[in-house]
Amino acid sequence: MNSRKSSNLFSIFAIIMALSMLVMGCSQGDKAKSQNNVTTQDTSHANTMTLSWNKDIGPLNPHMYAPNEWFAQAMVYESLVQYEEGGKIEPALAESWDISKDGKEYTFHLRQGVKFSDGSDFNANIAKKNLDAILANANKHDWLELINQMKSVEAVDDYTLKISFKNPYYPVLQELALIRPVRFLGEAGFPDSGNNTEEIKKPIGTGPWVLSEYKKDEYATFTRNENYWGEKPKLEKVVVKIIPDGETRVLAFEKGELDLIFGTGLISLDSFKSLKESGKYEAKFSEPLSTRVLAVNSNKGATKDLNVRQALQYGLNKQALIDNLFYGFEEKADTLFAPNFPYSNLGLKPMDYDIEKAKQLLDESGWELSDGKQIREKDGKPLELDFAYVSDDNVQKAVAEAMQGEYSKLGIKVNLVGSEYQSHVEKQKNGEFNLIFSETWGAPYDPHSLVATMRHPSHGDYQAQLGLPMKKEIDQKINEVLISTDEKTRQDLYKYILGTLHEQAVYLPISYISNIAVYQKNVSGVTFTPQQYEVPMQDIEIK
Amino acid sequence: MFGFIIKRLVSMIPILVGVSLITFILIHLVPVEPAEAYLRLSNGVPTEEAIQEVREELGLDKPLYAQYVDWLYKAVQLDFGTSFVTKRPVWDEMMIYIPATVQLTVTAFILMLILSLPIGVFSALYKDKLFDQISRMFSYVGASMPGFWLGFLLIYFFSLQLNLFPTSGKGTLFHLVLPSLTLALAHISTYARLLRTSMLENFNQPFVFYARARGLRERTVIVKHVLKNALLPVITVAGMGFGYMLAGSVIVENVFAWPGIGRFFVSAVFNRDYPVIQCYVLFNTAIFVLVNMVVDIVCAALDPRIR
Repeated sequence: MNSRKSSNLFSIFAIIMALSMLVMGCSQGDKAKSQNNVTTQDTSHANTMTLSWNKDIGPLNPHMYAPNEWFAQAMVYESLVQYEEGGKIEPALAESWDISKDGKEYTFHLRQGVKFSDGSDFNANIAKKNLDAILANANKHDWLELINQMKSVEAVDDYTLKISFKNPYYPVLQELALIRPVRFLGEAGFPDSGNNTEEIKKPIGTGPWVLSEYKKDEYATFTRNENYWGEKPKLEKVVVKIIPDGETRVLAFEKGELDLIFGTGLISLDSFKSLKESGKYEAKFSEPLSTRVLAVNSNKGATKDLNVRQALQYGLNKQALIDNLFYGFEEKADTLFAPNFPYSNLGLKPMDYDIEKAKQLLDESGWELSDGKQIREKDGKPLELDFAYVSDDNVQKAVAEAMQGEYSKLGIKVNLVGSEYQSHVEKQKNGEFNLIFSETWGAPYDPHSLVATMRHPSHGDYQAQLGLPMKKEIDQKINEVLISTDEKTRQDLYKYILGTLHEQAVYLPISYISNIAVYQKNVSGVTFTPQQYEVPMQDIEIK
Repeated sequence: MFGFIIKRLVSMIPILVGVSLITFILIHLVPVEPAEAYLRLSNGVPTEEAIQEVREELGLDKPLYAQYVDWLYKAVQLDFGTSFVTKRPVWDEMMIYIPATVQLTVTAFILMLILSLPIGVFSALYKDKLFDQISRMFSYVGASMPGFWLGFLLIYFFSLQLNLFPTSGKGTLFHLVLPSLTLALAHISTYARLLRTSMLENFNQPFVFYARARGLRERTVIVKHVLKNALLPVITVAGMGFGYMLAGSVIVENVFAWPGIGRFFVSAVFNRDYPVIQCYVLFNTAIFVLVNMVVDIVCAALDPRIR
């Protein structure tokens, strides 16, 4: 009996040992495989750059959105035209274009000799096939006015493409420059079903990079496209490691496992500061790319009152907040769009910090601070505001808490309402807020795309503006500006729209969001583009 | 024994159906529906028409009971549907991530056994001596330290400073060390203390007194009489621990960029990807039930009184 018991005990240990052997076996198999990888990578190491991203790059479908990542789509696919600094449109796959007098017909003269990464030609036929595929699924793109306005596409000859529109929609070229959806997939990439919104066969594009190795949620390797028509990148390979956590990313970078960290929100500004100050690495901040902004609800509670909305503007010491929370790295924002955006340099008067003026405005509206009280009251009701933010966004949370403190000095009670992202968007849509976090979309969307969505009831901007006496007029002017053909009229319309929103104080801009780049000293040629979601790798070199 | 296993497997069916029904009801109570969540992922402002269209596409326009019956009918045939976000079969997606998580969890579990057994035994044998004091301190720290912080400390010292292991990712055996250690450490302290207490209790039992009186060697008394009895409660708890490790690996996966199922599941929750949520919860339930069954078998093998 005794011996049987001990043999039982023995068999348990045997099972454990067997299991551990199994695990070791598995991982050793992996090890052998990855050692092979290491050796292949090592041969060209000098010309390989490793960066990291927080999410998997996705299936690289040029016509679709999440879970495709912008920067990876931009590496493989190209657009007809390119968006440059200050909103200038430059040729890309189209060498030149003519616009009909009525502004409804665009004729693109395509670049000759462009090849897809599988060697097939880029011409008007394949371009038309891509555009038709997008139009066939127009409902998937109905947020984008370009697609709603597009009527038909015609391949005039091998290298001439004509696109007709319903109205003279002016931002056609800006929206053709977007990273998605109007970029071009090679013939061999289209699935047999023809419906490429579901899947693509292979990511074949004309861009400077080709996806050569991919392991979902682990890494993706891009190799230089040797058939590329333009100037070829100096690097031979780019490895994208998927690291979801920002702190881990910093440690991996410090250890030298990464050459470059590029983007917004990939690491905290704390980490950026300490990496920069260590002096061991290069660290840069880009020009403003979009705006960190609060929408103030003109249709709910105390913020219906213009005086209260203006008091919120004057009562916030933005610079102090930026210095404390962002170490002064981000630039203070005075207007919804930074003045370097098209039609946005309007000379609007900033509502600078002036706490006395803020108090005076509140007093004027009857929100008075009686003796011994912390919170202002009017008709027995306290001055309370709901401030909605995304609970797992550390930046939003920190800003919200700082503002809660600032406004308590004014006698305003701020209730912080944190919720997870989807519920947060639901609050925007339903107007359940006095103050809510938002971001502008950046180039090339700003200002026209964001302005366009201000007309949709399902958007937070619409909800926030609903209480304005001139909301109808604003919407009307937005309709007009989008199909305006005359430059002067367009500028005037923008001046009215953006000027009114500014005076009415329905937006409380905090700071301008920039891309950051942190890289090892042996890396050179790191630059920024106006598009927030693009990582420009063209000129990067590793010594 | 065979009959016992069959019985347990059959009893799994109502549990799985019950859990799937509860999950189904709960995820439908969460605000924001998947059609909208999906469109928001796609940038911009979804219109009501677009949402309705996606609803139809995803089969979310049918009444709730019909949706559940549809799902159940397919799930019985091991078809867990298509992910709303990636548009690929859920089970295929899960199989990309499950091996990595299982590898991590099993390694952590083995580490836990290898380390907590001797620590527990020796702290019982040398009760209140230096070893016991150290192990006590170690277990307080281990139990109260959050997993992500421990993970960063390990990366900082063993990877960045000492350059022994890579910081993150999956690949070689070296990649496995830090994440599995992080996952195991919190549990090691618990089980070592549990084993110690359980052994001390057994030391006071009459059968130990009589075994010693019979003149058995102290070693035999400890291994065959005390340890064997003391292991029973520890095994039961460790079995559940395996389930918790599997389900709780998400934090470690995040810190170490380990491509496991936890990360996939969390993003599915944020994106309201119902089929993935259903399948993952069901998978974890099945694992819990199976592990419990294995625990019962092991206990029965160790202790004939249970049989």
